[in-house]
Amino acid sequence: MEPFITHRGRIALLDWTDVNTDLIIPARYLKKIERTGFGPLLFADKRYVAGGAPTAEKPDEHGKELAEFPLNDPAVKGATVLVVGHNFGCGSSREHAVWAVMQAGYRAVIARGSKVGFADIFESNALQNGLLAIELEDADWQAIADAARRHVGRVEVTIDLREQTVKLHSHADSTADPVDTRFDFVIPEAHRHRMLHGLDSIGETLLHDPSISRHEKTLPAWTVPSS
Amino acid sequence: MAETLVEKVWNRHVVEQTDEAILLYVDRHLLHEVTSPQAFEGLRLAGRRVRRADLTFATVDHNIPTDNQLVISDPQSRRQVEAMRANCRDFGIPLYDIQSGRQGIVHVIGPELGLTLPGFTIVCGDSHTSTHGAFGALAFGIGTSEVEHVLATQTLWQGLRPASFGIEVTGRLAPGLEPKDIVLAIIRKIGTGGATGHAIEYYGTGISGLSMEGRMTICNMSIEAGARAGLIAPDDVTVEYIAKGERPFAPRGATFDAAVADWKTLRTEDEDSFDRRVTLDASTLVPQVTWGTNPAMTVDVTGVVPEPENVPFAELDDARRALEYMGLVPGTRVTDIPIDVVFIGSCTNGRIEDLRTAARVFRGRKIAKGVQALVVPGSEAVRHQAEAEGLDRIFLEAGAEWRQAGCSMCLAMNPDKLRAGQRSASTSNRNFEGRQGPGGRTHLVSAAMAAAAAVTGKFADVRTMLS
Repeated sequence: MEPFITHRGRIALLDWTDVNTDLIIPARYLKKIERTGFGPLLFADKRYVAGGAPTAEKPDEHGKELAEFPLNDPAVKGATVLVVGHNFGCGSSREHAVWAVMQAGYRAVIARGSKVGFADIFESNALQNGLLAIELEDADWQAIADAARRHVGRVEVTIDLREQTVKLHSHADSTADPVDTRFDFVIPEAHRHRMLHGLDSIGETLLHDPSISRHEKTLPAWTVPSS
Repeated sequence: MAETLVEKVWNRHVVEQTDEAILLYVDRHLLHEVTSPQAFEGLRLAGRRVRRADLTFATVDHNIPTDNQLVISDPQSRRQVEAMRANCRDFGIPLYDIQSGRQGIVHVIGPELGLTLPGFTIVCGDSHTSTHGAFGALAFGIGTSEVEHVLATQTLWQGLRPASFGIEVTGRLAPGLEPKDIVLAIIRKIGTGGATGHAIEYYGTGISGLSMEGRMTICNMSIEAGARAGLIAPDDVTVEYIAKGERPFAPRGATFDAAVADWKTLRTEDEDSFDRRVTLDASTLVPQVTWGTNPAMTVDVTGVVPEPENVPFAELDDARRALEYMGLVPGTRVTDIPIDVVFIGSCTNGRIEDLRTAARVFRGRKIAKGVQALVVPGSEAVRHQAEAEGLDRIFLEAGAEWRQAGCSMCLAMNPDKLRAGQRSASTSNRNFEGRQGPGGRTHLVSAAMAAAAAVTGKFADVRTMLS
């Protein structure tokens, strides 16, 4: 995967709670056997006018975008950091949800609340793919979300995975956020190391083959299928 | 401190441990056609093999039509099923294909085949893998990258052990109440993110009195509370389930006796060791019906659709969006909500006991005019058992459709779908927007409540319909 060290980009805010992976990528698109082509399918049932969602075969042929869906605001087009509410990615384990978010151009997702920002499986899938899943304390998240509401599409952050910080860049024309502010986050060390170096975790695990074989020798007879 | 069940299972699978990561051994890896093709592609590209094809088992379930399994008219679905066949053939993995006699929803066939055993770690690229926790296994869903990792290494890297969450269910269910009502009431109480980062252990008289089928229903929906896994300590009911029936992969003879001796040690020594605890009294429960777009948005069948200001765990805007999507007005009595479609099936409620429960309500009754009712066995084995008991005739005489095994209307990946605006009473696990078809409106209920809704044409309190 592509290493993640630092990233500066504009943010888009989707301030919804409990966004599930069926919403992120509806099940009918999971029939693909490839890893690509999911970008235009992100939030397909929220993003397009009725009947305008594309088919899995022709993801680029879709109807008009719905103006009221927050990520369709022309001002947030090209944003690379997605800011979301509590429990983002709950429900189905489909990794396609992470592929869709990444292929729509996002490098990081910032969720609301420490330990409650992301559903467990989504968070794990994100880190497997190099999509940085950041949980911020409620007050810190609010500061970023408020800035996003005040200056739609113009708020920039710099994420530094080495330092584990998000810097909210100032707005010269704003009295509310006149100076840069930095917020801390934590990524489990094993994931952080792999993301910083873009490592393939299977290759790494295969180096532990002797330990795995040793463990297998200790398995009781009843654990091995009998037929 | 004394070990919990989760700690015991976890600890015996640790292959290596560093400061922040643990390499965990996987006893059983289950596959289905939707979340595995990209994993096999990854193996091929890297020239890797499957380390333990003998611990890996596959089936086809999500895409399979239930009216005629042999005809998959959607080319994308067909391609995905064919990819599963080719991948199993190329990598030497046993596949329980349609017409094999043992095909079905992956979480229904695992226990049936004796693949699911106490003390195991079980993974599958499917969040409802938590179902297998009913046997005292640590079972959880993984993504496709992790599926590839398990195929190649039979292990998974995990962060710290999940925190433990003890949920005690006291009392016993009254007539008309089902295990589904217990788990919906739990999710309603703790929220859809209430158990994030935790593995739940269910215990108490309200659990020990349940069959394995009922326990599986509860563990199945652990993920709907955000839990990584949901477990129940094995007991005599568990042992008897494994000992009886045709379970080709269950240990037998002396090996079985050795296993049982081990399983008896798989229990939480001291309930004070749980990181968190919650209690629910099963004896006071009323049948549960979800009204909204996540499984915590639930009320009693005797209740009303709530005001958006009074929806726990939801922001006001989220609650309003849910009401709008569901086309419901606050204050509406649940029993005044008409339904179009009834779905009885899925990995939550597609087992023989669920079908028996539904049949008891359907017996001697007809489904309401204009209602379509699908009864879909979770596996070919369940289908055969139901037919041997004559349940199929009860469903057909009531006017319901008796289908072949598959995921069916749980998730809109096969021809069984809601049309936009249609409203269902469904025994499945997710009432998310569009889950049963774009624009479809899902209400989750037990199999008894689904059958009651089918004959009434709207939600009905099944307790008033018992003979």
